[in-house]
Amino acid sequence: MNAIILSAAFGVVMMLCSFLIKNKSNFRHIASVALLILLIGNIADTYGYTFFAIDTHGMLQFNRFGLLFNSIAIGSTLLYVLLTGKEIENAGMHVAEYFTLILFVLCGVTLLSAYNNLLTLFLGIEIMSIPLYILTGSDKRNMKSNEAALKYFLMGSFSTGLMLMGIALTYGGTGTFSLEVVRNAPNMYKGLVSFLEILGLLFLLVSMAFKVSAAPFHFWTPDVYDGAPSVFTSFMATIVKAAGFIAFIKLCAVRMAETESVVDWKMIYAIIIVATLLVGNITAVFQQSVKRMLAYSSIAQAGFMLFTLISLNDMAYEGILLYSAAYSLATIGIFAVLVKMKDYTFDGYNGLAKTQPVLAATNTVFLLSLSGIPLTAGFFAKYYMLAAVVKTGNYTWLVITGVLFAAVSVYYYFRVIQAMYFKEGNAETTTIVPSFKYGLIALAAIIILLGIFPTLLLRWLYF
Amino acid sequence: MNNIAYLVPLFPLLGFLINGLFRKSLSKGTIGIIGCGTILLSFIVSLILFFDVKANGGVVVNYFNFIDVASFQIPFAFQIDQLSVIFLLIITGIGFLIHLYSTSYMHDESSEHFGRYFAYLNLFVFSMLLLIMGANYVIMFIGWEGVGLCSYLLIGYWFKNINYTNAAKKAFVMNRIGDLGFLLAVFWLLSKLGTANYVDVFEQASTGLSSTDVTAITLLLFVGAMGKSAQIPLYTWLPDAMAGPTPVSALIHAATMVTAGIYMIARSNVLYSLSPLTQDVVAVIGLATAILSATIALFQNDIKKVLAYSTVSQLGFMFLALGVGAYTTGVFHVMTHAFFKALMFLGAGSVIHAMGGEQDITKMGGLVKKLPITAWTFVIGVLAISGFPFTSGFVSKDEILLAVLAHSPVLFWFAVFAAILTAAYMFRLMMLVFFGGFRGTHEQEHHLHESPSAMTIPLIILGVLSLIGGFVQLPHVFGGEDFFNQFLAPIVPAVTHEGAEAATLEYYLLGGTIVILVIVYVVTKKLFAVDRFDGVYTGFKKVLADKWYIDELYNAVIVNPLDKLAGFLKNVVEKSGIDGIVNGVGKFVNYASRQLRLLQSGQVGNYILFMVLSIAVLFLVFWNQEIIVQFLQKIF
Repeated sequence: MNAIILSAAFGVVMMLCSFLIKNKSNFRHIASVALLILLIGNIADTYGYTFFAIDTHGMLQFNRFGLLFNSIAIGSTLLYVLLTGKEIENAGMHVAEYFTLILFVLCGVTLLSAYNNLLTLFLGIEIMSIPLYILTGSDKRNMKSNEAALKYFLMGSFSTGLMLMGIALTYGGTGTFSLEVVRNAPNMYKGLVSFLEILGLLFLLVSMAFKVSAAPFHFWTPDVYDGAPSVFTSFMATIVKAAGFIAFIKLCAVRMAETESVVDWKMIYAIIIVATLLVGNITAVFQQSVKRMLAYSSIAQAGFMLFTLISLNDMAYEGILLYSAAYSLATIGIFAVLVKMKDYTFDGYNGLAKTQPVLAATNTVFLLSLSGIPLTAGFFAKYYMLAAVVKTGNYTWLVITGVLFAAVSVYYYFRVIQAMYFKEGNAETTTIVPSFKYGLIALAAIIILLGIFPTLLLRWLYF
Repeated sequence: MNNIAYLVPLFPLLGFLINGLFRKSLSKGTIGIIGCGTILLSFIVSLILFFDVKANGGVVVNYFNFIDVASFQIPFAFQIDQLSVIFLLIITGIGFLIHLYSTSYMHDESSEHFGRYFAYLNLFVFSMLLLIMGANYVIMFIGWEGVGLCSYLLIGYWFKNINYTNAAKKAFVMNRIGDLGFLLAVFWLLSKLGTANYVDVFEQASTGLSSTDVTAITLLLFVGAMGKSAQIPLYTWLPDAMAGPTPVSALIHAATMVTAGIYMIARSNVLYSLSPLTQDVVAVIGLATAILSATIALFQNDIKKVLAYSTVSQLGFMFLALGVGAYTTGVFHVMTHAFFKALMFLGAGSVIHAMGGEQDITKMGGLVKKLPITAWTFVIGVLAISGFPFTSGFVSKDEILLAVLAHSPVLFWFAVFAAILTAAYMFRLMMLVFFGGFRGTHEQEHHLHESPSAMTIPLIILGVLSLIGGFVQLPHVFGGEDFFNQFLAPIVPAVTHEGAEAATLEYYLLGGTIVILVIVYVVTKKLFAVDRFDGVYTGFKKVLADKWYIDELYNAVIVNPLDKLAGFLKNVVEKSGIDGIVNGVGKFVNYASRQLRLLQSGQVGNYILFMVLSIAVLFLVFWNQEIIVQFLQKIF
């Protein structure tokens, strides 16, 4: 509860600041402090100190898993602002508003980690999505940015429509918005009522798949990620996406699991996973722009996170947290380097190791983590995902598919490393300040630390 | 007192780190002080531990869990008991002397390489101590690999010479073969007993392991020992290892590392005693190695090669002792051998130093006049290894022979034969190097000088030890008390030779030894204490001088076929098979990527159409039929 209230409040404060403060760079510092307080507030919540006691009548339910995810999301955002705050200032005219919107997105994220009712799910998704439409179009004079924003909005509206339809149908089927449905009649599934519920859940599933850009509902992703200003792509591709997963998992673990006996949801998940892995990984191979490659890579990584839906056991929950952290940190780092580049194509990275050795080295760590090489956080993240599925005893073929596609992913991640280290060229960057380098080194250090001691993060679950 | 045990390996580790990291900025003097000082400190701590163990018995000191997975644990623990402290004293004591000697011997090296040398040497001592002190097979294996690595690094210390690096590689590969055996044995143990701790393994060995298990484990462990301790068929690396600096040969390839196999078997004596078959194998291989390498040593012209084959031969004797169940005797011979072989290697180093790098004994002769200390200490070494009465070698070797006789008279006579050969090649070496007339160039003769005191002091100390080191285990007949056996008794059951019969045998051996040595002395003096010696052999002697063509045999039977196979795999299987598949997959993925990319048309209308179609497909394909039917029935 702390995080929801605080993030909304800080958003409003931030908005007011834009009238009072003239110096642009102050917003960044205010936002950092706000995020820090938010993080502390959420950790306090995790340890049982709730500042705001509001009765939500069961519409929100705070558990350790969700709160821990909040910490990861807020912490990642903090790192993101610290590392690329300068670029956010340069993205457009209304700097304070961008930070405001980011805080509002976090509000939506924290709602999604706690929802226990289809209405709060809808609320969270919308609070999270609408600021993103604006952020996507923040570069007003750039046609690509405008185009991306419009596309995102149109398709986002379509998915919102599907979601509302789904919620309405499930309400029709069960008479409640609550995630947990008390079912009395054992034969209920055979009737008409359950049919509506299941149709509704299918629509919900599709709209959630849209949010996490799972194939075949991923089409917006490359266009939007490519068109949006790079700093905001970084935010969208990491924290927001992970939040979508948390919401998705909750829906699957509670509501869909109850209807498991009627419909083989897991088969549907499996098909979506294979499609996502295929489209994400294979399409990324041929991209010429690193930014667009990263868009497809985010689809591919989503395919891995979707493995949680299949396993849904303790290991999977631990795994998705680790995956969120590993993926978010690495992607934030890669985008932080990307926005400093003058040329976003692979050729633009040629010879970066000579001109900017620190950037190249840390970027290599991030890329290794994304491709799941041992000694980086990404390795254990993938390991937990796959091992959790293996533990269920079924879907071994899916695990094998996942490993094969992970091998494919090495190709396009290593292309960047190859460009940086083994190709002749003179990669141009904007001015790099030392503090930025230290930030990158710290980020790389966290990734390696998590890669050696994944339990550092996971132990929080069982303190 | 045992809580200071960790200091023993810690000091050399620190020395390694300091010398290794700061070798470019430290002066040679500082490097030498750090290199020797750390070992001296370890020696002092080892002495404290020794007296503690003597008074209070052995203990296992647990530090932390090295591996901790579910119910399976490998603790990082040291076992400080009678057996390990003896080895600690040998390693740190002789190690210190050799470090001291090295400061002078390696003085011509540049400061950076000097630092590298001492860093490696300290790392070696650290690994060796880990090997000895570990309280389970896993910690032992860490040390086991560590000494292998250091051996490799130090053999190839002069890495600019391709032959030396090849020798280093050979040593490494041969050792890896042995290590594999060791590793398999440890896995076998772990899978059967779930523990690698000595205490637990030996306690459960008789109940938890079938006789097949024990035999397999002990044989595999012995394969490890074959590699590390240079026994047939894995011995050929040791003579080549003489490419390293001479003090390295003394420390690693004579006194300490090569005895790791003996330590390991003595440590595992409980297991070995359960498997008579393995014991026989150990004894026979040990004896065969002792004889084979002694015959080769007879006709070598390189001073270090003779000593190297002699080492292999003496190691064979130790395994023979272990094989007939006389574990304490084997360990005792490790100790006396460490004294006199280190002495002779260092003496050889002193000779090589004086001769300006010359190692060919046909070019030496009469050095006793110019290098008196080196020569006379070397003579002590020769007498000791040949078993001259009441030297250390006499005591240990006689005990081995007696133990073998008690086991099998046939083996005994072979062992006696090997012992005679030992005396023969050693006297030959001594005569050629130190007596007769000088056969080198005038320049060399002019250059001849006794080595500085940093080199002669270790020689004198080792000389004294070689002379009197046997008294701790002098037979009863000669008024001795077997201190050594009694000390080791809690770990290793001692073999005693009591009674009138043993006494008679001792006298026979004493008399026999004197007679043989006199004959050998007379013959070698006549043949080798000469002014001219060409060192060219024909006929059967040439076969021996060429080491029975074992290296050539290995090349023909193993190396060349492997090379051919590798060539086939590289040129045929990889080029046309694997590369084709790999490239094919790559091309296919690239092609697929180009096609799939087209789906992303940029048209929102298309995207939404795809999504709707996908929903329809999901709906149709994965929908439980029954539900749809019922739904339709309800409506209509």
